[in-house]
Amino acid sequence: MGRRIPLLILVLAVAGFSYMLLPIVVVVLAGLTAGEFLTFPPQGLSLRWVVAFLQSDKYLSAFFFSFKLALMTMIVATVLGTAAALFLSRTRFVGRAAMRAFFLSPVVLPGVVVGFALFAFYISTGMGISRTIWGLWIGHILYSTPYVIGTVGAALAAFDISLEEAARSLGSSPWRAFRRITLPNIGQGIQAGSIFAFIVSFGQFEVSLFLSAPNSEPLPIAMYNSLRYQFDPSAAAAGIFAITLVTASVLLTNRLVNIRRLLERQQP
Amino acid sequence: MTTNRTGFPVRHYSSYRRQMKWLLVSPLLVFFLIFFVIPVGLLFASSFNPQIIGQVGFTSELTLDNYTRFFSRSNYMAAAGRSVLLAGVVSLITLIIAYPMAFVIAKTEHPGRNTFLLIIVLAAMQLDMVIRLYGMMVILGDNGLINQALRLVGLIQAETSVRLMYNFGGVVAGLVQFALPFMILTLVGVIRGIDPSLEEAARSLGAKRWRAFVRVILPASMPGILAGSLLVFALSISSYIVPALMGGFRVGVLPIHIFQQVAESARFQFGASIAFILFLLSAGAVLVYLHVGSRRSGGLA
Repeated sequence: MGRRIPLLILVLAVAGFSYMLLPIVVVVLAGLTAGEFLTFPPQGLSLRWVVAFLQSDKYLSAFFFSFKLALMTMIVATVLGTAAALFLSRTRFVGRAAMRAFFLSPVVLPGVVVGFALFAFYISTGMGISRTIWGLWIGHILYSTPYVIGTVGAALAAFDISLEEAARSLGSSPWRAFRRITLPNIGQGIQAGSIFAFIVSFGQFEVSLFLSAPNSEPLPIAMYNSLRYQFDPSAAAAGIFAITLVTASVLLTNRLVNIRRLLERQQP
Repeated sequence: MTTNRTGFPVRHYSSYRRQMKWLLVSPLLVFFLIFFVIPVGLLFASSFNPQIIGQVGFTSELTLDNYTRFFSRSNYMAAAGRSVLLAGVVSLITLIIAYPMAFVIAKTEHPGRNTFLLIIVLAAMQLDMVIRLYGMMVILGDNGLINQALRLVGLIQAETSVRLMYNFGGVVAGLVQFALPFMILTLVGVIRGIDPSLEEAARSLGAKRWRAFVRVILPASMPGILAGSLLVFALSISSYIVPALMGGFRVGVLPIHIFQQVAESARFQFGASIAFILFLLSAGAVLVYLHVGSRRSGGLA
């Protein structure tokens, strides 16, 4: 492989990967340090901050709050996103591309603005869900569903719809044809999409900013609030658990779908 | 769809199927309408209401005062300019760092190694930004690892430090960290899509490997470069968390101003006008991105 890649590019790429990964390595080391904070050179390893995290009310409750919120988000995002992806793969109406772009748009639009809009909407309509888990839930669904649509859409693009049509023409009901033919073929794509929805919600910061309150605080917000004042190594220990969760999720995704194909350009 | 590919007529249930199809998408359409289009629309509408501290929600009294205020105060105009400059600088630097990474991933043919690299990029992309910034702050802070190392080798005095964050450069460093995976994933697909015979042709005509790269591969990856830069522009101009932590509120960009106006001063209408301006800048970049990358946009990017 090395022969096709000029040496300079290889060196620059290694430097780039170091830049991308170094902060993550540092968080792991900071969470495992034996000292009061991470120093150079390091003072040795210990589990004291991991224990401190597991005993801290603040981070542990935030961790479980985020976990619960991510599970709730995952369920709705998977159902709504899969249904929408099915529609987008089967329709030919002219607004199809625009509709797809509309559903994917939360990924790139400012989360602070959408969070602010939802916050003002909850208050002005008197829905009573501002600064509750329900208000956060709605915001997170907006930001997680696009990932389900993308992943399931990729699985559907690889699925030959004539299989389902064959079942239909042989007399299957639409639901039966879907359940027996289509679903088994895209099932792993749906699972991968739901994992994405989970992690995106678990790490979501921007949209949560206006919607969280001291008693309903997701982990990123809790870490941010402490990080503004001091480097608390037990926050880094919480980070280790989050890093493990994300890495495990991505590895699981890789077992479910071909990541290479998923990330490659999906042809319409 | 009136006939399927096997040639059997399926006309008899086609209209029924068409209605069924819309049932699939209607839940999400309704959800997006109620919790995305209407709230964002109402927010923008309320930016045309007079500023009344503590009041939320749209009223029928219309004015352009908030926008006049924004465009007549130099600190808000400066914040808008700073936001655009920041996003532009980040796009350029991210492109320079990401291109070699994407090139290596695209040219790694061994499936295991290739998947491994993609998993790393995807995991970095999905990891909570606050955690990655924690790492950045431990490295770049006034008492961070770099400053400690500089003191250790005697390059700077014991009690002094080099300012690596809480300034524009620190915010750029954090945003590049945030944007790298998005740029890499956009570029990999485009670079892999370049016909290898193009490079081979250049090589066989006597071009050196480096020259072939600069003259053939780089121009052929222009669509990805453009799309990735616009994507990164939209993402970084929207970020609150990176300027907040890496800039320590000293780098006043639009998202920071929105939060301050709303959460600290309860100026909802003025905050809404800044939000609208930020939204237009971000959505503008996204629209150009969709136009540029319409044939190439991938599943996740």
